[in-house]
Amino acid sequence: MFETGVSAFKVALVGNPNVGKSVIFGLLTGKYVTVSNYPGTTVEVSKGICKGLDGRIEIVDTPGANSLIPLSEDELVARDMLLEDYEKRVIQVVDAKNLRRGLLITTQLAEMGLPVILTLNMWDELLDRGMNIDVHALQETLNIPIIKTIATHRVGINALLSSISSTGVPNLHIDYGNAIEEGILKVQKILNGDTAVNTRSLAIMLLSGDEALEEKLRDKLPSGSLDECHRIRDNIQKQFSNPLSYVINIKRANFVNALVERVCTTVSKEGKTHPFIRGVLFYFLVPLAAFFIGYKLATLSMSLISSRLQPESFMNFIIPIAVGGVTSIWFSLYLYLREYKERSTISEILGRITMHPVAAFPILITILWIVYKLVGEFGAGTCVDFFENKVFGSSLTPSGGFDIYISIPFIKKIYNITHVNFQGFNYYCGLLAQKIISKDSIVFELFLNEQSGLIQVGLTYAIAIVFPIVGFFFLAFGIMEDSGYLPRLAVMVDKVFKRIGLNGKAVLPMVLGLGCDTMATLTTRILNTKKERIIATLLLALAIPCSAQLGVISGVLGKISGIYFAIYVFVIGTQLLFVGYLSSKVLPGTPSDFLMEIPPFRMPKLSNIFIKTFYRVHWFLKEAVPLFMLGTLALFVATKLGVLSLIERIGAPVTKNFLGLPVETTHGFILGFLRRDYGAVSIFKVLEEKGGDKGINPEQLLVSLVVITLFIPCLANFLVMIKEQGAKNAFLMFAFILPYSILIGGILRVILQQF
Amino acid sequence: MTEPGLEEILELIWTMKEESDTVEKDVLIKRMKPPAKESMLKTLTQDGYVKITDTKVEFTNKGMADARLIIRRHRLAERLLNDVLEVKEDTMDSSACEFEHFLDEEVTTSICTLLGHPVSCPHGKAIPPGECCEKANKEIRPVVMPLTELRSGDRAKISYIVTRYHERLDRLSSMGLLPGVQIRLHQRQPTYVIQMGETQIALDTAIARDIYVRLV
Repeated sequence: MFETGVSAFKVALVGNPNVGKSVIFGLLTGKYVTVSNYPGTTVEVSKGICKGLDGRIEIVDTPGANSLIPLSEDELVARDMLLEDYEKRVIQVVDAKNLRRGLLITTQLAEMGLPVILTLNMWDELLDRGMNIDVHALQETLNIPIIKTIATHRVGINALLSSISSTGVPNLHIDYGNAIEEGILKVQKILNGDTAVNTRSLAIMLLSGDEALEEKLRDKLPSGSLDECHRIRDNIQKQFSNPLSYVINIKRANFVNALVERVCTTVSKEGKTHPFIRGVLFYFLVPLAAFFIGYKLATLSMSLISSRLQPESFMNFIIPIAVGGVTSIWFSLYLYLREYKERSTISEILGRITMHPVAAFPILITILWIVYKLVGEFGAGTCVDFFENKVFGSSLTPSGGFDIYISIPFIKKIYNITHVNFQGFNYYCGLLAQKIISKDSIVFELFLNEQSGLIQVGLTYAIAIVFPIVGFFFLAFGIMEDSGYLPRLAVMVDKVFKRIGLNGKAVLPMVLGLGCDTMATLTTRILNTKKERIIATLLLALAIPCSAQLGVISGVLGKISGIYFAIYVFVIGTQLLFVGYLSSKVLPGTPSDFLMEIPPFRMPKLSNIFIKTFYRVHWFLKEAVPLFMLGTLALFVATKLGVLSLIERIGAPVTKNFLGLPVETTHGFILGFLRRDYGAVSIFKVLEEKGGDKGINPEQLLVSLVVITLFIPCLANFLVMIKEQGAKNAFLMFAFILPYSILIGGILRVILQQF
Repeated sequence: MTEPGLEEILELIWTMKEESDTVEKDVLIKRMKPPAKESMLKTLTQDGYVKITDTKVEFTNKGMADARLIIRRHRLAERLLNDVLEVKEDTMDSSACEFEHFLDEEVTTSICTLLGHPVSCPHGKAIPPGECCEKANKEIRPVVMPLTELRSGDRAKISYIVTRYHERLDRLSSMGLLPGVQIRLHQRQPTYVIQMGETQIALDTAIARDIYVRLV
């Protein structure tokens, strides 16, 4: 898209994770890239052309890195960008309140000989914490432009733009001590010739044992020179008890510490929150929210055993209130004793309590419940119903129109405003089409057939069913991302994830997978080892239903009984743990450390959440609609040619005898490969039809939904798996998942028959 | 007291007093090794370290206090050589004899703290407690300890990081978790969360065990 020759130079945004590189990228280029409040949002390089400057200057956003000697895939992406062979400048984004960690990278950029602008972002948070940085002194020492910014409020961006032309190489020189300096010189001599990047920095990276760099250099250098480097390194290593990379890092850190001490000042911190707001929080909001949490937990657990309870009994009423009261008192007392006197700010308190070993779990369940209400009930229930039956409707029968009304909660009064006499998009299409052709002709059937028409089924499913569910999921997910809640989940699940060969960090791709497995498979890059990435990819493909699928499933199971949804969650959950546990035993490799930065709790910015949701839904529809149409077309052709009944016959022994499902569900499973939610919907329709007046058979439904959830991933996800893990691994996973999902379905059927 | 020979004699008297309550002058002289000489016993008497009554040798208060410090240094040195430096036993004995003469009070306290205020030497003999031991006894906790020993809310400084895994060291140091950095333990469960400057970092038990800190 962009020829390198056109722009004079490229500008790379580099910095620690979660410092706001992507926000600044968006402001400089006008292009949106996903922005969230957790480290690892960006895992790929994005490029855009800088607005507001003469000439075409290409801006490149990179994944966050703590060190330019990469320790994970996303850090590698960032570092490789900087090693590429063209003229570039760097905007280094630093979290102003964590200047020390930022400068650790600045020293490495200086060694690479790159021109740098230092951006001290989140300047407001620095001031909130009673800290200050003597920018003038820092500028004088480093001799490069230093800009204070608050990127989320667009403060300082113009200054940043105008200083792009006046970058300079930071004036930093670290003396690593005689032994290492001598080694650096020796390695530099070997590297002689490769001038793309300063050889001193390459030499330091090689001495630090940078394997990825060695791979890159292997072809460029004469054979044997890498071995020579190893010899030099081993010789120096003999003089130190600690690994050389650690010695180098310590030298660097000491240098930076001295610098930070000179420019950074902290005055005693005062509580910033207004006393009134604190009062409201401690005496009103916390007790109320805690009561709600307790009340909800009690009703939720009671609804699971609802069949054993007598309706309208006094206990039904008193237990939730009692539990709510106890929770309320406990939470309030705890917070009051611990936090009130400490003068912590509200975001600090929220940040702490959402990781608290006990308090965090009821909060988690409540959040899940709210998300379920929003996505599962409102999105997948009310909205889907409205879109599917009223807006789209059926091609042959009018939908009957709908009312616009205002419903007032608690008193249950409904005020009708007006009745809209709209009979459904598909109905009008059908009427229009029938003016030209008969409704029995093949063309009419191709587009508007009730079972497999491109518009009646393909378009309607994609927009009416998927759109509201995915939209609401990403809305909820965006709030969790931007507040900083997701990384706190990692703290809570680390111990469990350790058992399945992962660590807490893996919760990020897993939860993202509940939105879209395809996106999530890309995010597995933030994991440290190959083994973890394979396990996470496998589990995403196997046991994590995407939002569209989960929405459909929770919708249809919720209609039948809460207990079936609970069984569904239990079965899928145990499969996740079981397969994870097995693969952690089978796959070679060591478990990696859980070491993760927890960002501060922040008030989400609504505008960012809406923009983010918009872009994600947009992406999703672009991906989903063509596949839905393609799937429907394939289905239509297969029906007409009789291939479908052939496949059904072949699959019959499995579906009918082993899983105990009607043979027609086979094509649902086939469609599942195109989109899993599509498969789930189509199975549901088949079972509904088969059930007739007696209603759907809940056991069949449960078995089929478990199988379709575990079933092979959708096409898009599979393609990303091939891209990330290679065709061999992707096909191996495929070959495991296919029979395994059916096996579990069969076992579940047998177990269900016992009751 | 600076002369090694004199110190050796005081040490010997202490050791013999541990074995049996009374110290016979003849036995003492027989067990002396160079650089300790018989004549030095006279110097000790003149300087007021020991009293000689008939055939028995007794400490004065001043002599007792000095001998106690020498023994303490010797046995702490043995512990250090044995536990930390893993020196072989015969070398340990001779090196410990050298050590005891040049360790000053401050270094002795540091070693004692580092070793967690040990109560006995590798041979099983008692190490006379110093001031630092009594202080530690009140606090119960050693000064340098793994991060896992901290209580939530404690502030500490990282003393050193000991790990078998090279990559772990790289990861910690690239995050800025290095010796000398001040941290605060935020919580222990479900995983360790520490605050370093304005950064909050979650880490698991395996890493926390490798980070040794000193309370501040």
